[in-house]
Amino acid sequence: MGLGALALVGVLLVAADHIDAPGAMGTSADIADFYAFEPTEGSDNTVFAVDLQSNVLPDLAYGTFDENVLLEINIDTDNDLVEDLVIQAIPRDGKMYFFGPVAPSETGLNGAIMVDAPLGSVDISAETAIVETTANGVSLFAGPRQDAFFFDFFQFNEVIGGTAPLGFKPAGDPNSTDDDDETAVDTFDGSNTMSIVVELPNSLLGSTTGQNALGLEVYKTWVTTNVKQ
Amino acid sequence: MKYKNIKYTFLSLLAVVALVSCSDDDDNTPIVVTETCDDGIMNGDETGVDCGGSCTPCEEAMAPDFTGTYAQVDFMGRPGINTVLSADGTIKDAHNVSIPSEMAATFQADFEARLEAYHDVYANILGADPAAVNYENNILGLDAPTLTGYLAADVLEVAPNLPTTYFNPGTDADDDGRILVPDGDEVALTGRTPQDDVIDVSLILLFGGMEGDRFSGQDTDGDGVADLPRLTSDGVGLTASVGTTFPYLGAPE
Repeated sequence: MGLGALALVGVLLVAADHIDAPGAMGTSADIADFYAFEPTEGSDNTVFAVDLQSNVLPDLAYGTFDENVLLEINIDTDNDLVEDLVIQAIPRDGKMYFFGPVAPSETGLNGAIMVDAPLGSVDISAETAIVETTANGVSLFAGPRQDAFFFDFFQFNEVIGGTAPLGFKPAGDPNSTDDDDETAVDTFDGSNTMSIVVELPNSLLGSTTGQNALGLEVYKTWVTTNVKQ
Repeated sequence: MKYKNIKYTFLSLLAVVALVSCSDDDDNTPIVVTETCDDGIMNGDETGVDCGGSCTPCEEAMAPDFTGTYAQVDFMGRPGINTVLSADGTIKDAHNVSIPSEMAATFQADFEARLEAYHDVYANILGADPAAVNYENNILGLDAPTLTGYLAADVLEVAPNLPTTYFNPGTDADDDGRILVPDGDEVALTGRTPQDDVIDVSLILLFGGMEGDRFSGQDTDGDGVADLPRLTSDGVGLTASVGTTFPYLGAPE
């Protein structure tokens, strides 16, 4: 592919998944980011954090969870890349309702809310975080948060557009606020996103036979947004 | 005649009867007002507006509606995969409405072509033959088809019983002078924390070659000016505040 074609596709490209595709870009269902981690070393919990929407650029849908958008965290526990468990979240009237982890009624592109497996609900936060902790040790959150993703996205577009012979810029003084154009800048610094965070005991997910490329035991996970038909 | 057809014939007969009786019902009999469960007022034996008594229990009537079918519109596994490796909007949209078990077969070839196209960008800038500047096996020893096939099956792995790191190279346990090459002491691909520099890891895997530093702004002729582009780090680290307690992500700015 020549330079011209690459320059064209690089015009509007944001990562990690922020504004990633024409179909979902900038909508209330646009997934911005996904984290899955052990909260502290040796913990028996796993945290799933999903960011929807973003205000990193003007004119994007941002600030309100959409009642027609179901978030689904998919978990494969037997290494076949098909979800064995789902955790779902959907807002209703100022609250975020969570369901699962439970085997979905159907796998794949279409699904239903697993109403018989409620996990709990939490009031959607404004600036101050409202956290709900359920009797079985699950913590729930939904509301606006800082976008923790960091990337010099504008320079990335220069790089793939063929207009940056030197590639990315070197790291600048992290305490410097001057924008000298010589050092790298985190495009996402100062932007926010609509986050949904679930922390739950691994016992609710069960064991896994999945393995990563190094042979370590892992859940294989992904998130989807799904619009009511 | 099949049962279904009999059933519908019977129903349509009923409908005809009902229509006929309706059309005959044109006398001026006074309309009797009855309380219903959907008239928007509390009446009859209701204990709330249109609920309770002989209507749906109020608690149930007030419960949110979770019915319906929901269809996938966006997808994410590892950070940046669709953004960086899908070449155009058509592929990105297709990726968002696909499922992981089919992704490697569907997207590997496109992703490999995209990876090669990125190398051509710098071949052109460097004045080299694009056909001569190609992806080289990375620090994990993966060739282009294997790497792009692995990334195309776009899932985020998270280990329930290991510390989380998107990629931690470990130390040079086998003393081969290359700390980035897996030698048994590394923990990697066990999840993703907000602190993980996933972009740098991705750049190293895509452009770093076997040592992880293939295109890292080297001054190859010693004249004090970089001769190779800096492609293995974007130069930025975490700027947002991230906490150590739930919900971990900092309050909005």
